Amino acid sequence: MFRYILRKVAFLSTCGKNSNEKYKYKEVEENRLCTDIDQNLEALKNILGSSNDIITREFVFAGEGRVKGLLVFIEDLVDNKIINESIIKPLISGTPLIYKKENADNVNVVKSEMLSVGDVKQENSMDEIVYSCLSGDTVLLIDGSAEALIIASQGGENRGVEESKTESVVRGPRESFSEDLRTNTSLLRRKIKNPDLTLEKMKIGRRTGTMVCISYIKNLAAPELIEEVRRRLKAIDTDAILESGYIEQFIEDAPFSIFPTVSHSEKPDVIAAKILEGRAAIMIDRTPFALTVPMLFIEDFQSPEDYYSRPYFSSFIRIIRFLSFLISILAPATYVALTTFHQELIPTNLLLTMAAAREGTPFPSVLEAGIMVITFEILKEAGIRLPRPVGQAISIVGALVVGESAVSAGLIGAPMVIVVAITAVSSFVVPFQSDTGSILRIILLGLAGFMGAVGIMMGLLVLIVHLASLRSFGAPYFSPLAPHNASGMKDTAIRAPIWLMDTRPSSIDRDKRRRQAAHSKPEPPKKQ
Amino acid sequence: MGSSFKTILKQIACFFLILTLSGCWNSRELNTISIVMGTGLDKPEDGEGVLITAQVVKPGEIKASEKEGTTGTDSNAYWNLEREGMSTFATVRGFTHQASRRLFFPHNQVLILGEDFAEENVRKKIDIFVRDPENRLTVWVLVSKGKAKDIFYVKPELEKITALSISNMVDAYAATSQSISVNLKDFLTRIMSDSTAPVAPFIKIAEKGGKEVLVMEGTAVFKKDGLAGELDSKETRGLMWVLGRVKSGIIESHFSEGGEYVAFEIVRASSKISPEIKNGKPCVKITINEEGNVGEENFRDGLDLASMVKELEGKKSEVIKGEVMAALKKAKELNADIFGFGEKIHKSYPKQWAKLKDNWDTVFNDLEVEVLVNAKLLLTGEIKTIEQGK
Repeated sequence: MFRYILRKVAFLSTCGKNSNEKYKYKEVEENRLCTDIDQNLEALKNILGSSNDIITREFVFAGEGRVKGLLVFIEDLVDNKIINESIIKPLISGTPLIYKKENADNVNVVKSEMLSVGDVKQENSMDEIVYSCLSGDTVLLIDGSAEALIIASQGGENRGVEESKTESVVRGPRESFSEDLRTNTSLLRRKIKNPDLTLEKMKIGRRTGTMVCISYIKNLAAPELIEEVRRRLKAIDTDAILESGYIEQFIEDAPFSIFPTVSHSEKPDVIAAKILEGRAAIMIDRTPFALTVPMLFIEDFQSPEDYYSRPYFSSFIRIIRFLSFLISILAPATYVALTTFHQELIPTNLLLTMAAAREGTPFPSVLEAGIMVITFEILKEAGIRLPRPVGQAISIVGALVVGESAVSAGLIGAPMVIVVAITAVSSFVVPFQSDTGSILRIILLGLAGFMGAVGIMMGLLVLIVHLASLRSFGAPYFSPLAPHNASGMKDTAIRAPIWLMDTRPSSIDRDKRRRQAAHSKPEPPKKQ
Repeated sequence: MGSSFKTILKQIACFFLILTLSGCWNSRELNTISIVMGTGLDKPEDGEGVLITAQVVKPGEIKASEKEGTTGTDSNAYWNLEREGMSTFATVRGFTHQASRRLFFPHNQVLILGEDFAEENVRKKIDIFVRDPENRLTVWVLVSKGKAKDIFYVKPELEKITALSISNMVDAYAATSQSISVNLKDFLTRIMSDSTAPVAPFIKIAEKGGKEVLVMEGTAVFKKDGLAGELDSKETRGLMWVLGRVKSGIIESHFSEGGEYVAFEIVRASSKISPEIKNGKPCVKITINEEGNVGEENFRDGLDLASMVKELEGKKSEVIKGEVMAALKKAKELNADIFGFGEKIHKSYPKQWAKLKDNWDTVFNDLEVEVLVNAKLLLTGEIKTIEQGK
């Protein structure tokens, strides 16, 4: 049977390869512009099709030459004020500078002397022109010239910079990324005013042409890392990139692991901090989530606020987070293991209370726990998906049915409800790992039901071995825990004072360069 | 991509194969076991074998009385099972014929030996409590005056379960030092020793106001493994002093015939037993160090005791020494080495011990024991007299 499954899998994977071949990008000869404006217009119209939102505006340049010009743009994507005031106005009624269509210099003259727009590029590739047009730029064609001018005129509605919904902080900047890539890069630039901050844009997705931007600090991020990020991004050949998750799944190191090896955040301060540690960020147009690589396991336990508040409380909260994660994956499993296999480990008085609660409940503990854990997942999912007013109804029904009625009807023991409740609450303390936690919780629960504590230990061993074997863009995922790194431990369960964290995480910045002056510890002035 | 997927699939398959190997071995739900809280061993009426009483919890009752918030209900939270049999092991297993659930022993709190049972060969009958992994060696061992099974029918006032109440009692008495707490491990170590005599606290049923209550008092002394005699409270503390197990307690010292007394609180105490062999004759020197405070006195008008610290310390030493000597006298009477002097000599003089071992009983009777007590007074609870007019 095993061999049969393997054969099926082998078949599937070859299948995938074949279709890949067929789907290979066809390298066609690139269309270029010619000097005749009518032909160019015809060609553009062919490509852009008959959509009503595409505007082709023909006009005549001011002056006696009556040289024809053509503006192509998509009306919903452009800022009409720019088109009217800064493009059409100077071209039609400005100083007449275009005399003859044969003048080879016309493009330069328009660009340097007539247009009052900042970002103007010269371009003659049809693909580029079409892409610019579709991204909201305006294309200016001049009769007699084989070069077009691409004038930045992006406009249209964008959600503004709002407070982060997924990563809220008490102390710290509130702003979060929005959907617009340019807004997002601007937020990043404002945080890091350094010429070394490099933004490399590239286009991914054949149908969507999504703009993706690799951002890093030139002398901090390892060149191999940046090269690797470029390579993996370039290897993506797909129809659509609609969210950062698409990119993440195409570039991650361990696609079959349940642990994410690419980190994400929607807060500019988080992304800036990670870039400043030598990581590379990948920002994607039309989504507020940016990715960072390499990712370490402990990153999910670090909140930006840890660094903003003082070290004592931060360290305490870190420990609470680790503890919560353990509770969230282990509590139901441990409860089941104790009550069905190891009753001798429960303190006598507690055992009596638990036995009393267990009296008369019909299901085995493992099933009881399974039902409760699944119920919780259902309630959680319903709470997320439903519109807010209905969501409240769900939570009331959930609390009443699960918390109250199930116990009083004798279907579920009260301790089980408590265990699942603490599990549920704990799972939200480390939000980035809560998806992983849900799966681990159920696996460990199953193991505990089969083999008790032995099962849990087996599961945990496999888990730790797996974690220690993962890598993310060359960095060991479980570092600084394994491979152990003493200086890296300053930022794990204990968050050392900022003035002590002299070097960047060694698994990311391998050169271990200092990021601050030695002896940064604040001291009162010495008495004279 | 294909290959890594295959490995993962293999791993997952292996994982599930392991699961099928194990099954749910040894899994038992809480509502399929009955938790044994106390066990009693008695000699049956007709002589042979053993009569076992097991006190198990009725979880439903615990819940019920919790809900109503009253303890006045007539139903008990425990159920006593009794069974006679030849071997202890078979009898314990035989409980399945009486109970719908399997008996679960790890939470057993007390093992009570009936008086008549204790008089005979104890070791051979409690063997199972050591061999069976379900039993813990931390079970308290007690000896009952009368039948052990009767003890379990006394309904405790504070706790819901008799065995739990007895176990708490043992814990509490250990702190006043006038009774001894012995767990199965200590008991068996003493049984297995060549010279040391096992001890266990006595428990009995007393009538108070028409109600039966349990009282823990005195210490049962075993010779080899049969009950030999009893120590009273004073002698018990004497034993505790020598063993260095006194943790707390009150020492009462009479000052005069007129009822004047002072009561000291023991803060800490330790002891040292140093054996020696002089001229081929073994002797033992016991040093007891005690520190304590004055807790109460009724013989002075002023409250200032600072001037008589030395005197008080002397009084205290006297009492302690008296207790130790009483215990020593009783031990010699019973010819039972409850202090473990034999083991001490064994450790210090292993070669000589080989000769002494065989006639330890006579050697112990003539053993020269020197008792040295250093009692210190830490605080007199000093209150200065307030002078008039100031």
